[in-house]
Amino acid sequence: MSMRSQVYDWDASRGTAMTVSTSAGKRTSIFIGGVGNNITKPAETSATEFVVIEDIAVTPTLPIGVDAEIATAQRGLTYGVAMGIAGPRAYVQVRINTTDYFLDPDNVPNDGIPGTSSPYPRSIDFQPSFNLYPDVYVLPGQVWDVLVTFFNTQAFATDTAAAGELRCFVKYTLYDGPDALIANKLLEMGISINPGNVDWYKRSLLASQ
Amino acid sequence: MSMRSQVYEWANLAPVGVSSALRRSTADVPKALTAGREYDLFIGGTGNNITKPAETTATQFIVIEDIACSPHLGGAVQIRINTTDYFQNPDVTDQAGIPGLASPYPRGAPSSVDLSAAEPLNSDQLLKSFDLYPDVYVLPGQTFQILYTPETATGVGVAATSTEVVAAFVKYTLYDGPDALIANKLLELGVTINPNNVDWYKRSLIEQQQRSASMAAAAAAANGGQA
Repeated sequence: MSMRSQVYDWDASRGTAMTVSTSAGKRTSIFIGGVGNNITKPAETSATEFVVIEDIAVTPTLPIGVDAEIATAQRGLTYGVAMGIAGPRAYVQVRINTTDYFLDPDNVPNDGIPGTSSPYPRSIDFQPSFNLYPDVYVLPGQVWDVLVTFFNTQAFATDTAAAGELRCFVKYTLYDGPDALIANKLLEMGISINPGNVDWYKRSLLASQ
Repeated sequence: MSMRSQVYEWANLAPVGVSSALRRSTADVPKALTAGREYDLFIGGTGNNITKPAETTATQFIVIEDIACSPHLGGAVQIRINTTDYFQNPDVTDQAGIPGLASPYPRGAPSSVDLSAAEPLNSDQLLKSFDLYPDVYVLPGQTFQILYTPETATGVGVAATSTEVVAAFVKYTLYDGPDALIANKLLELGVTINPNNVDWYKRSLIEQQQRSASMAAAAAAANGGQA
């Protein structure tokens, strides 16, 4: 159990359901943001843990155009006539300690990965254009967070988020104990940290004995 | 944090009263687009923009891995490095770039949107026909632009209050500091620049150092401990 594939699924409607008007345009932590399903404390790695974030995704958006006649959901997403888009226009950012991972080309931190490029859930209508490679490493002792920002308030049927209107997903692998030490060693050696390479390092240690 | 996967998304959305903004906001509305005009996603003055032209510093190296745009309005995206357009016609004349029909954003988007129809979205779901391979390299010190060109203007044949919304997307990897130096070295060697190959080069440097250290130790031992 020292390398474990993990997933965290956040829905703004769970737990304390998100109030759309107060959260719109603001970054919300999916772990401790106070809305949706949360955990008990900030996500952090202990001295004997190593986390590799392999995928992040958020509810997608479809650009359409302003059309007062559109009254129904478009491709499963609530349409907002003011912005002319269906879906929340949501973005997801990864923060390690105090540093945002995703930047604009002028080196200014941005809102993160658009749900349109990394949709959750994936469907025929919304397929990923983005692949989080290289992975994001959270070293022992670091605090990390995943932050969701949305801008289309009309993508919600009411002022309180309903199930499926804004969701986020994080896939990561947790390396613990000896495997975290090996992960650190691989990092020093410039080798990508994944379960295959950790196993390779173990085999090479055994072979050298 | 010296190799980072990055994404930039542009849409013709900005607050009322301005044509562009540095930050997205909840008050954004669609902005009109002119047919055949090139819109710079970064500093084009329409939609969401950034503070300055996209450029690499002396210690940065960018590899553009994917570009895409909304298929409707006949949109296309072009990459410009300094003053040179990447995509050209066979007769070496200019073209608009990769059509959104070939590289749709989002993948699965409808091929057309008709705001005058009761059901505005075409029922199809487009998949990509285009893969940006080999990748496009932006060397240290170069300026790059991503240009979106609609074939049709917004608001044609629809109600005066209707404006189409389009988006464009670029995915790239930013190599910074030592990794940018390695990227330059790989370029000199003619090796494709990607995170795997950068890691391979690092490993080969480490192995080389270890070999040198063990050879020095062996030589010292052969000389009776005298270096």
